[in-house]
Amino acid sequence: MTRESRLVATLVELADNLVDNFDVIDVLTLLSDRAVLSVDMDAAGVMLSTPGGELQYLASSSDSMRILELFQIQANEGPCIDCVNDGQPIINRELNSTDERWPRFSPRAIELGFHSVHCLPMRLRGRTIGALNLFRTELGFLSEEDVIIAQGMADVATIAILQHRSSVDAVTLNDQLSRALNSRIIIEQAKGMVSESTRCTMDEAFARIRAHARNHNLGLTMVASSIVDGSITSQNLDVPRSVTTRSTRTP
Amino acid sequence: MANNRLVDIFALLARYERGGGGEASLCMVAAEITELSGAGIALSSNPDLMTSMGTSNPAATQLMDVEIALREGPCNDACTGENAVEDIDLLRGLKTRWLVYTPQAIAIGARAVFGFPVRIGAVRLGALSLYRDKRGALTYEQASDGYLMASVIGRAILAMQAGASGNSLALELEREATFDFAIHQAAGIIAIQGFTDVGEALVLLRSHAFATNTSISTLATRVIAHQTSYESLGGTWREETS
Repeated sequence: MTRESRLVATLVELADNLVDNFDVIDVLTLLSDRAVLSVDMDAAGVMLSTPGGELQYLASSSDSMRILELFQIQANEGPCIDCVNDGQPIINRELNSTDERWPRFSPRAIELGFHSVHCLPMRLRGRTIGALNLFRTELGFLSEEDVIIAQGMADVATIAILQHRSSVDAVTLNDQLSRALNSRIIIEQAKGMVSESTRCTMDEAFARIRAHARNHNLGLTMVASSIVDGSITSQNLDVPRSVTTRSTRTP
Repeated sequence: MANNRLVDIFALLARYERGGGGEASLCMVAAEITELSGAGIALSSNPDLMTSMGTSNPAATQLMDVEIALREGPCNDACTGENAVEDIDLLRGLKTRWLVYTPQAIAIGARAVFGFPVRIGAVRLGALSLYRDKRGALTYEQASDGYLMASVIGRAILAMQAGASGNSLALELEREATFDFAIHQAAGIIAIQGFTDVGEALVLLRSHAFATNTSISTLATRVIAHQTSYESLGGTWREETS
């Protein structure tokens, strides 16, 4: 598939997902997967601003602990915070281990095998509500066209979180942000339960929850909620055909 | 840290607690930070049972009593629903919503009421209710503060259940500035190990962190790595030395 047709396919797939009662974390996970393919990245993820102004991890192309750790650090420092605070994209930022701007983030990202980072703001009526974060294991630059594609994906992420409502009042907007963040917490709780009762990694636990949601045409958060409240047991989850398909390349 | 608003809340909470406010401190802070007329916190362990955890002033107490008696109103809806609820003009809402509650709330002096769910992931703890003596919608900032306050209250309930005293609450909350994903994964793990639910597992984690003087994040990381585990028989913790 060419890059352009892949992009079109992504947008069509996302548009399909946005039609009715979709699951925001599921759509953002899919978007992260597609961002990785479309602009040739090794990992991608979405962080969202909480009402207190902190950033929280929402979804990414991989649930492996090494990727999650990079998002965790970014609650305090890193490209996402800078991008959200300034409302400006960070493009083609080379990482080095003696980085003064991000003294915790950069050395750890390099240790984990990443060498360049990009960040696109998710903007809503003059406010930046989050950021799409892209990582590459090699140095290499995003072209102007890449940046347009990536910013387009960040815009789709914003729409997904707002559930494509054209006019949102303060309570509704905050509701949607808070709901997205809360969904993530429910999924983490369910991942913990699945990993413990079936002796698998967090990454595999997520893949199982996601496969079950897909197979039964249910929302990811709904399946996670059912696991947490005990109405689905971990043993009853469908086993995905391959639990390794979502892992990013190991450096 | 970017979370200036959280710092404002902790500073206010510490001030009220020095005055001996106890659990009502949270309501006083909620009313003050959102610049509304009053606030109340309801605990709801199951949908049929709602109890008051404190109110900021006599009118807020009356509003909460009405809600508990009638099982109707913003706090009830926020306890059971997914989203925040509001009626920004009770005088005009007479015929539409909360048929019995609305006239009584008006008589108490409320003109607009708001309810925010208090929950930690899939764990529902209760709701924060706020009222104002004038009609009108919340601004974006007020709505943000409502959500932020609801999440602080969620952490506070957890800290209190884990044995923190009401008077050191501000300090307890500040120690756990962020609620990171590892805590929730660890809660899922402990729920399975302890044959319990995630809400109880969060309390167990918090109590153990408190008892061993470690941060809940550090404990969570150890639980995920299976260096620390919980034994449901006898309710003891086991540490792997590695």
